[in-house]
Amino acid sequence: MHLLTLIVLAPFIAAMVIIALPDRARAATRLVAITGAGVSLAGAIATILQYDLARGGLQMQKVVPLVPSLGISYAVAVDGWSLSLLLLTGIILFAGCWASWTVKDRDRDFYVLLLVLSAGVFGVFVSLDMFVFFLFYEIAVLPMYLLIGIWGSTKKVEIQGPLAPFLKRLDIGGREYAAMKLTLMLLMGSAFILVGILALYMAGGGKTFNMELLRGNMVMSRDTQLWVFPALWVGFGTLAGLFPFHTWSPDGHAAAPTAVSMLHAGVLMKLGAFGVIRVGMVMLPEGAQAWALVVGIVASINVVYGAFSAMSQKDLKYIIAYSSVSHMGVVMLGAATLTVSGWNGAVFQMFAHGIMTGAFFALVGLIYEKSHTRDVASMGGFAKFMPGISVVFTLGCLSSLGLPGTAGFVAEFLVFLGAYKSAHGWWMLPGILGAFITAIYVLKATRQIFWGPFPEGRFEHLEDARGTEWVAISMLAVCLVLFGFWPNLALTGVDKATVEYLSRVVGTSVAAAGPALVP
Amino acid sequence: MKSQALLLLVVVLPALCAGVTGLIPYVRRRGMLAGTLSSLTVLATLVMSLVLLGRANGGEKVIVNVQWMPEAGKTLAEFGLRLDGISAPMLVVVSLVAAMVQIYSLSYLHEEPSESLGRYFTWHSLFVFSMQALVVSTNLMQLFGAWELVGLCSYLLIGYWWAKPSAGKAAVKAFWVNKFGDAAFLIAIILFHAQYKTWDIDALENQVRVTPPGALVVLLLFMGVMSKSAQFPLHVWLPDAMEGPTPVSALLHAATMVAAGVYLLVRFFPVFAANADALTVIMYIGIFTALFAALTATVQTDVKKVLAYSTCSQLGYMVAAVGAGGKLAAYFHLTTHAFFKALLFLAAGSIIHGVHSNELPAMGGLWKKMKLTTVLFGIGVLAIAGIPGFSGFFSKDLVLEQLEHHTVVWVVGLLTAGLTAYYMGKAFVLAFAGEARSDGAAHAHESGLLMTGPMVLLAVLAVVAGFFANPFARLTHLAEPGFHLTTTGILALVLALGGLGAAWLFHGPRAKDPAAVPGFLAPVDALVKAGLVDRFYEWSYRVVMLGLAKIIGWVDRYLVDGVMNLFGWVALEGGAALRVVQTGRAPDYVFAVVVGLVALMAWGYVGG
Repeated sequence: MHLLTLIVLAPFIAAMVIIALPDRARAATRLVAITGAGVSLAGAIATILQYDLARGGLQMQKVVPLVPSLGISYAVAVDGWSLSLLLLTGIILFAGCWASWTVKDRDRDFYVLLLVLSAGVFGVFVSLDMFVFFLFYEIAVLPMYLLIGIWGSTKKVEIQGPLAPFLKRLDIGGREYAAMKLTLMLLMGSAFILVGILALYMAGGGKTFNMELLRGNMVMSRDTQLWVFPALWVGFGTLAGLFPFHTWSPDGHAAAPTAVSMLHAGVLMKLGAFGVIRVGMVMLPEGAQAWALVVGIVASINVVYGAFSAMSQKDLKYIIAYSSVSHMGVVMLGAATLTVSGWNGAVFQMFAHGIMTGAFFALVGLIYEKSHTRDVASMGGFAKFMPGISVVFTLGCLSSLGLPGTAGFVAEFLVFLGAYKSAHGWWMLPGILGAFITAIYVLKATRQIFWGPFPEGRFEHLEDARGTEWVAISMLAVCLVLFGFWPNLALTGVDKATVEYLSRVVGTSVAAAGPALVP
Repeated sequence: MKSQALLLLVVVLPALCAGVTGLIPYVRRRGMLAGTLSSLTVLATLVMSLVLLGRANGGEKVIVNVQWMPEAGKTLAEFGLRLDGISAPMLVVVSLVAAMVQIYSLSYLHEEPSESLGRYFTWHSLFVFSMQALVVSTNLMQLFGAWELVGLCSYLLIGYWWAKPSAGKAAVKAFWVNKFGDAAFLIAIILFHAQYKTWDIDALENQVRVTPPGALVVLLLFMGVMSKSAQFPLHVWLPDAMEGPTPVSALLHAATMVAAGVYLLVRFFPVFAANADALTVIMYIGIFTALFAALTATVQTDVKKVLAYSTCSQLGYMVAAVGAGGKLAAYFHLTTHAFFKALLFLAAGSIIHGVHSNELPAMGGLWKKMKLTTVLFGIGVLAIAGIPGFSGFFSKDLVLEQLEHHTVVWVVGLLTAGLTAYYMGKAFVLAFAGEARSDGAAHAHESGLLMTGPMVLLAVLAVVAGFFANPFARLTHLAEPGFHLTTTGILALVLALGGLGAAWLFHGPRAKDPAAVPGFLAPVDALVKAGLVDRFYEWSYRVVMLGLAKIIGWVDRYLVDGVMNLFGWVALEGGAALRVVQTGRAPDYVFAVVVGLVALMAWGYVGG
């Protein structure tokens, strides 16, 4: 079977098998889900091994016409970017299945939705056909409504101030509110995306949705590009936590159950960023160049604003959620630089942040399960009873603040380097400021949660991670360090794809640019 | 074995050891086993470092690089190993002091829970790995990576007693301040690459000769040094770092990690030297730190705080020496300082172990109880004071000679030498002379062999290291060798003796109240107690950072999200308003249809 199709189908098949299982088959449900996720992960690793790095470009291509009259086909292939993102999705899905071990209520439905959603994510990362791309995109986004609405947690946000009477009516912080907000905002984004995709399709003469074929026969004037690009930017950007359309993220991620937060912040937000770069920038070079300044400025706001917002939060899940807004800003900043380093950094940041935030949400889930609180101020001295969790959490923090030796550093460093070398060198400053603010709030949170005297009597039966709980967090922790010390595992492929795509955007080959760097 | 392999092992072995002691629960839970493993590993790296030092002395030079990050198909960043006259001695210093400190810790911390001890030695091994990776760096980028990793180890080890709120705060503060300096460092790295397209030591040296870097980029790089090597005003984390266990202070916060800044200055000296203005600024910051920290040290009562400020002050000397162009003087002082300051810290640990207090006023009369510790601490004091025959005399003299051409700096340097002798003499006299001033001091006892052994070795080095100034100069190729006694040396000696005399006069057994601050230091005492620098940082954190966070948090919830919620609210309210129309009774709908029809007909009639 075609490897990429297998990766996409495996979770879907697992979901179908789970539907067929009897209601009470708890162990079997988990086994099937983990097998499905495992097959995808193994497939992603096999794809990386099979991919010919020296040749680069699109490989393992497969095209099956679906609606020939409209030019719609199932067309999949991998490039250096999708390699890393497939691996990321595989890792997070696999870890997420393990982290969902404790879901007891309607667990069959839960796993089905989770797996279907993941199939959509895999599909987006390998699709060449924009119609199928969009289809997969919606498959990935929509199950969130049910996943959060049914299995989410309810924690009311205290509303103060003059607007309180109006806002009270909305039940902010509740899971229905969060699910509704997330879905509506993302659907609004989808509407923009659809417009953008159709514009691209029409520019290609309405013959094909395939991005590679479109590239050859697409004629789009600069003026048209100037309005199509922002549609795609805002549309995909909403999912990437683009300011000011990011507010679904904190409420949504805080209310979502552990594995859903992991997948959503870890992988789905990357769909947005991936869409902006792969569809928006690569397909619309002139639009991308014209809008780069705006994209970069908004991304800078994202980085600093997200970090300050995270600093002001008291709920642990909100802290992590806002840190995602900040870190996704780094991705968009890297994209806006239109430099090789910036794009490498952007894609690597997608990977690094996915792993890191996945680990964070898994850890927060564990901490919440054991302590029954997410209020940071009420915690303290947890390292006494959860030394293992505290070490992995600290590792996540270090990656978050960009410490060398963790994946986060490589990503942020490349973006900052690219930012300085871009047309707007000052972009480097908000990036570095954001990293510094991140250092402040993550270390403060770590100290408040794990260090200091243990409040005797407030928490019962606090304990470290046990058995299956270790799987998710330890594999994510290993990835953070592995890719921090050996970024080339992913970066070589990313770099190949970056050179190819960026050359299209800037109009000249970036491969030969500049003298030999280091003899 | 080939030098490449040895170099690799020197770096990798401690990392492997950290992996074993940290990740294998069986080892981690047995602290003494982890400690023994860790100590043996670092002793092995010491032996290998000595071999490498011998080879470097024989003129061998090794440079190996592998790609770390690509860019457009070429190499962007590299990881490498470099053996030459500059890296070799530092490798020995790091592994030697680390070995002594780890062996000492086995005894000093033997009452700690076994599990915590496993963690302690894991962080120690991680530190040795990071520090060696820093020392053998072939380029600025790798140096920065290792630089932040040693900062991480510092954070982890300061926070070793994490349940103590003060330790937690000190650890986080150390990280924040270092991260602040490192942010500037990172900007400098990026600027360097934008200008020179390389971070490699040799390539950079060649290029700055052609096009010198701007003052801004050099000073940004120096800001990294300021935070790591505790230069004013980024020194604030170092005194707080004393919350960590004393052996940690000896290794990280005295001998090696804080010296990394000076090592960077020496390693990349041509880069700094390429901009004369920046170099001058560096010299003034260094000498100001030396004086400021020495003055602060004179009024401290906690023996570890005295040593911490003293470290600040000595690092200031080294930085000033580099600023005046004396890279050899700085590097040599770094080496001797590593020995005598580690000795002083370990001896202080021995006192604390015996007395169970850090406070000098609570000590006194320890000479009778701890004869060996007295002698060892005394050697350290004489070395740092710069008494002839001890290593500090030679290295400090080299530093001060460098400053001769800058009269003000030179005078301040001499004055600091006198102050150094005074506050170290004071600490010595208060601790060991006179009568015991507390129960703890009265019941003090000498430490065991595991603690005194490493101290004796360091004491021997603290004495003899000074005589190796000329071989050191030949090895490092930093300057022409040649030690000679000058006016500066004599003046410094006179001031040092004066300082020691003043210490005896004001704080000796015959003084009325030995622990009191003498009148001429009262203004210093008042200024130190006011803690202006610390209060400024406190203010910028609490008011500026947290204030901004609060405002932005509010804006996000009520304004940015408010607009989104407004849509939701309008939809809800609109729906509620329209619901009134949907009564569900058929007559109402028929009525509405009729009204609509009539209206349409009327419109058609009028409009048509």
